[in-house]
Amino acid sequence: MPLTKTEQIVNASLKARRKKERAFQLFGIAAIALALFFLVTLMGSILSKGIPGFFQYYITLEIELDRERLDPLGDLSEQSLFDGQAKKIIEEVVLEKTGAKSRNGRKAARKLLSNGSDTRLTSFVRANPSLLNSTQKVKFALDDDADSYFRGFVKKETPEQQRRLSNIQIEYLDKMNEDGLISHEISDYLFFGSASRNAEMAGIKGAAIGSVLTLLVCFVIAFPIGVATAVYLEEFAPKNKITEIIEININNLAAVPSVVFGILGLAIFINLFGLPRSIPLVGGMVLALMTLPTIIISSRAAIKSVPPSIRDGALGVGASKVQATMHHVVPLAIPGMLTGTIIGMAQALGETAPLLMIGMVAFIVDIPGSVTEPGTVLPVQIFMWADFAERMFVQKTSSAIIILLLFLILMNGGAIWLRKKLERRW
Amino acid sequence: MTDIVETIVNCDGVSVFYGENRAINNISIDIGKQSITAFIGPSGCGKSTFLRTINRMNDTIEGCRIEGRVTVDGQDIYDASVDVVPLRAKVGMVFQKPNPFPKTIYENVAYGPRIHGLARNKSQLDDIVEKALTGAGLWAEVRDRLQDSGTSLSGGQQQRLCIARTIAVEPQIILMDEPCSALDPIATSKIEALMSELSNEYTIIIVTHSMQQAARVSQKTAYFHLGNLIEYGDTKEIFVRPKDPQTEAYISGKIG
Ligand SMILES: Nc1ncnc2c1ncn2[C@@H]1O[C@H](COP(=O)(O)OP(=O)(O)OP(=O)(O)O)[C@@H](O)[C@H]1O
Ligand SMILES: [Mg+2]
Repeated sequence: MPLTKTEQIVNASLKARRKKERAFQLFGIAAIALALFFLVTLMGSILSKGIPGFFQYYITLEIELDRERLDPLGDLSEQSLFDGQAKKIIEEVVLEKTGAKSRNGRKAARKLLSNGSDTRLTSFVRANPSLLNSTQKVKFALDDDADSYFRGFVKKETPEQQRRLSNIQIEYLDKMNEDGLISHEISDYLFFGSASRNAEMAGIKGAAIGSVLTLLVCFVIAFPIGVATAVYLEEFAPKNKITEIIEININNLAAVPSVVFGILGLAIFINLFGLPRSIPLVGGMVLALMTLPTIIISSRAAIKSVPPSIRDGALGVGASKVQATMHHVVPLAIPGMLTGTIIGMAQALGETAPLLMIGMVAFIVDIPGSVTEPGTVLPVQIFMWADFAERMFVQKTSSAIIILLLFLILMNGGAIWLRKKLERRW
Repeated sequence: MTDIVETIVNCDGVSVFYGENRAINNISIDIGKQSITAFIGPSGCGKSTFLRTINRMNDTIEGCRIEGRVTVDGQDIYDASVDVVPLRAKVGMVFQKPNPFPKTIYENVAYGPRIHGLARNKSQLDDIVEKALTGAGLWAEVRDRLQDSGTSLSGGQQQRLCIARTIAVEPQIILMDEPCSALDPIATSKIEALMSELSNEYTIIIVTHSMQQAARVSQKTAYFHLGNLIEYGDTKEIFVRPKDPQTEAYISGKIG
């Protein structure tokens, strides 16, 4: 059968069309490959640095928990434990284990354990008062330089003046390792420690709690305001010049650099209202300003996606506008609103710049107990750690990044789960 | 020729505008109580627009404006003192596409009575729901699955659910905008039978594209063309002896 005219024309153009399609496909694949390459490199670098950061080296020592010496007042009070000789007791054991005799040797041996060892011993005593006056095995963290030796960052071959450990210190460490005192374990300081200048003691607990408190404030403020704004703009606002300008501005706000919100927060909340610096309350309010546009935009999209026929159905049986909105439109839009909110909050979780502006970058050892106590947040903690040169801080920085990423994945996963769970069909 | 016993809806010189566009042009019509009136006419001629003026659903459309007078039961419904909530309770509407709420069957029917406070307690509400579903010819099919989602029903069942939802508030007038256009012949005939039954109690105005449907169910037919009411009269008359050549052309399939 002869080809029709249309078929002839179509056939003639087929080759060129195919070629275009192939080129387009290739371009797409190349773009994805490039993106994947960067992703893998990034994840590889973070994981390779960060995973070792989850572990650190500990030394287990047998300590005689002499009550007279540890708790001179006998009431286990902070004062009493502070007056006690925890530090001295540990040092005696270390000197014995290393066999350090000379003045220099003893000085070198003392520096092998973390500065926080005496606090660790007193908290151990406080937690287990029944063990007083007995001999117990207690685990202490190694000082970060000693830790670096076992990690292989400090090498014996390096000339003594150029490394952070002296020959004699290395000798002691080797000896204790041979005696089986050194162990490599998951770092409890990383998870339960707070800000510290000593790398081996630094942890994210304070920052993580600060993040949670800040996000809580952010949610409590941004979600209701955002949803109310979206509902009003979508359902009730007259369509005129003023609402149009408001709409355009909300959309533009979503693109404003976050640091600007920090400056705004500094000017309004701190300078004008006189709220204290560095507190999660102000941080949360600033982040709420920042996430509001995201929440409003996604909530409006969620409301728009509710079919108008549902509204008509409600109005048709005599529901008022508010009833139709509250009984039908909002419940159907809630999953979309929540998804948008979680994504906005995830953004807020990773935000650093605006919080620097309001002073959440201060070095705070205490863990914030409420939204009005000074604190910091995870990304700011990461930012601060990244500034320190110690090898262990470098690793802990990556570990904290992994934890932050896990939080983000968790939140985004939660958003997906919510959407799947609440999704309705009509 | 008009044998309207009692007029319930009276329109006098009604024009409707979408912005600058005039969709309805100076229409006057009387609609009789407890009867079925069919609106027919080519697509885009303004049937839906006109139907929606009777329960003020056009109010929800931005830029829609109406001129003239519409009275229901002698009351001017566009008077500033009129509240649309009781008006729509009195003039119910069934839409072209079945639009049950994504809630249970029970909740779909109970919604209207609940917001209007028609039931004083749960058992009264149960009664209303049962009565409305029975009235819509759906009770037998759904009595055991009242807690299922309304959207889990078939298209025809959904449309009857929407009718049940409408009659649950006991309106006087039911407006139906092409209620069978998404349904198969069997579901259609069920709804037509239902309409005939409902017309004993309610006034029904139906927009339809099916000549046969108009001929089967309605007592009166109005033919619209380009926003004008061309002809209005007894259905039998219109289908057998149309007075206007345009009506004749449409009915015999020359305009469409
Ligand atoms: N929301 C609206 N905004 C602007 N113009 C509209 C709107 N709805 C309808 N119109 C216009 O009004 C006129 C009448 O429309 P209408 O929907 O009433 O027609 P119809 O007779 O119901 O048609 P169909 O049989 O296709 O449903 C059309 O010209 C249409 O373009
Ligand atoms: Mg229509």
